[in-house]
Amino acid sequence: MKNILKIFMRDLKTARRDSMALIIIIMPIVLAIGITLFTPGLADTTVNLALLKNDDPAHIQYMENFAKVELFDTRQDAIARVQKRDDVAAVIRKDKSYEIILQGNEPNMVENYAASLSALYETGQTIEASNVTLYSFGQSTSPIKTMLVNMLISMTIMLAGMLIAISIVGEKADNTINAVNVTPVSQTEFVLGKTLLGGFIALVSIIIALLITGYDDINWLMILLVGVSSMALSLIIGFLMGLMSDDVIEAATNVKMIMLPVAGSILGYELLAANWQWTMYWSPFYWAYKANQLVLSKTADWPSVLLSTGMVLLLTLLVYFAAKPKIRKGLS
Amino acid sequence: MISVKNLSHSYGNDRKLAVKNISFEVENGETFGFLGPSGAGKSTTQGILTGLLKLQKGDVSVAGYDISRVHNERFNTIGVSFEQSNVYSKLTAKENLQFYAKLFDVPTRDPMELIHLVGLLGKENDLAGTFSKGMKHRLTFARSMINNPELWFLDEPTTGLDPAIAANIKDIIKEKTTAGTTAFLTTHNMFIADELCDRVAFIIDGEIVLIDTPSSLKLQYGQKLVVITYLKDDQVVKETLKTTDEKDRLRIGEVVNLYEVQTMHTKEATLEEIFIQVTGRGLV
Ligand SMILES: Nc1ncnc2c1ncn2[C@@H]1O[C@H](COP(=O)(O)OP(=O)(O)O)[C@@H](O)[C@H]1O
Ligand SMILES: [Mg+2]
Repeated sequence: MKNILKIFMRDLKTARRDSMALIIIIMPIVLAIGITLFTPGLADTTVNLALLKNDDPAHIQYMENFAKVELFDTRQDAIARVQKRDDVAAVIRKDKSYEIILQGNEPNMVENYAASLSALYETGQTIEASNVTLYSFGQSTSPIKTMLVNMLISMTIMLAGMLIAISIVGEKADNTINAVNVTPVSQTEFVLGKTLLGGFIALVSIIIALLITGYDDINWLMILLVGVSSMALSLIIGFLMGLMSDDVIEAATNVKMIMLPVAGSILGYELLAANWQWTMYWSPFYWAYKANQLVLSKTADWPSVLLSTGMVLLLTLLVYFAAKPKIRKGLS
Repeated sequence: MISVKNLSHSYGNDRKLAVKNISFEVENGETFGFLGPSGAGKSTTQGILTGLLKLQKGDVSVAGYDISRVHNERFNTIGVSFEQSNVYSKLTAKENLQFYAKLFDVPTRDPMELIHLVGLLGKENDLAGTFSKGMKHRLTFARSMINNPELWFLDEPTTGLDPAIAANIKDIIKEKTTAGTTAFLTTHNMFIADELCDRVAFIIDGEIVLIDTPSSLKLQYGQKLVVITYLKDDQVVKETLKTTDEKDRLRIGEVVNLYEVQTMHTKEATLEEIFIQVTGRGLV
């Protein structure tokens, strides 16, 4: 264990000096921020509405249940509020119905939300009666965002594998594997040290990305489990890419090749009908994506998470045993 | 310390052997030289002894361990300097040694002391990637001493270094081996071998031709040479003649009788000349 940590610390030190490795470490965080900015928020599902003080108190109360309501004296004041920088929709009584006034640059969601709420109010839905619908509207995760974050996780795993690859390519270029081979450090410890590099950075990046994108109320124990299987994936990808490549450029080219099954697995999961999903069962990326999907959308139960991560580990193990002689040979 | 019996090694599956059925022993405290031209199989032999190449055929024990089995802890007492320098280019000289030192379970030497020893002082905080070939070679050499090895493998420790630095490296090796370190030294530099080695093996095309001490070799094979300079028609002429050769002996008498001899001294054959005589081949 001590030796594993020593290998890990050295790799981390080197990674900090490698611009490509730095980009790889920072990229998931930048993308997580991007996703947060450009997709409707999860934590921030509250929509701001501008209502008039002389509105029907029942209407005001109804809206306050589902949105942050600001009250204004006049229609002009409400419109002025709408025209400020942040996203506010005004809902103002007009004849027997309501009109929704927007600035025009709000996310669609604000418009839809205001419109749906108004529609529900007009059809006389009470909180009790409409509880199911409305609760899900306000609290469920946005499917697009979940998909993007899940893709980000898949990418992070691959990038972490790339880190291992860069590290191995570096060792190959410097021919330093031989030097480590004549120390008390065993080959297994050497491999595990590098695995720790990929796995640790993948795990940290994923956790940071989840916190940034607002998925902080998911089941972290499950995510940890998925993280462990991700580590196995990073390992296998990284070592294979590293040993197949003689320089960083070549390693990057090989990443692109691995992008194919990853992208295919994600598309398969998202697009294939339920009775065709089995065609993707061969892919560990499919199972990893699926496990993450369950956890992120908070629909996961332990049996299904265990099944998915178990499949990831199993398939990864198969690949590992097939590649093991090659890895051993490449390291000596 | 090292015992090798009937060792053979082949890269790839062809019949061509890089090392052919060699046997030798290295005693505790001895400095054993492996001499031969490039491609003779020296590095291959060192590779097998250090466990970097898999043992294919033969019985080899190193520092008491049968090397066909993996014993990582045996490396605590072994130091290896590589022919091709191999240091982390993204780490500084000092970091390279610090990292390497941590990998051993025995007391290690101070990296700065080693850096000073091999003449890299002032460069300790430069990335090894910025080093010249010779500097990297010295760092690789310094690294091989970090765990105070009892058995020291040195593959071409001075090759490619400029003479002053080569002499410095040679002195360091001499000091350590005099202090009791056992060394297995591979070189095609016969002067280094002559000065450092207790015994030498001549290896050519994967085969050991002979094993002996340098002094005994000189006695056996070394013809005494006489170098004479004399004046002939107001010109200084230099002739090198063998005392073992009938014609040459007569010629020596002739020169002494006919001309005004300026200098005349005897010279021992070098290890290189002996190598050529024994193997019929040069050392390049
Ligand atoms: N990795 C290798 N693959 C194939 N042949 C090799 C390899 N390394 C060395 N050889 C061959 O083995 C022979 C011995 O090489 P080597 O042990 O490096 O010689 P030396 O160290 O005495 O110069 C040479 O013919 C060389 O070409
Ligand atoms: Mg060699």
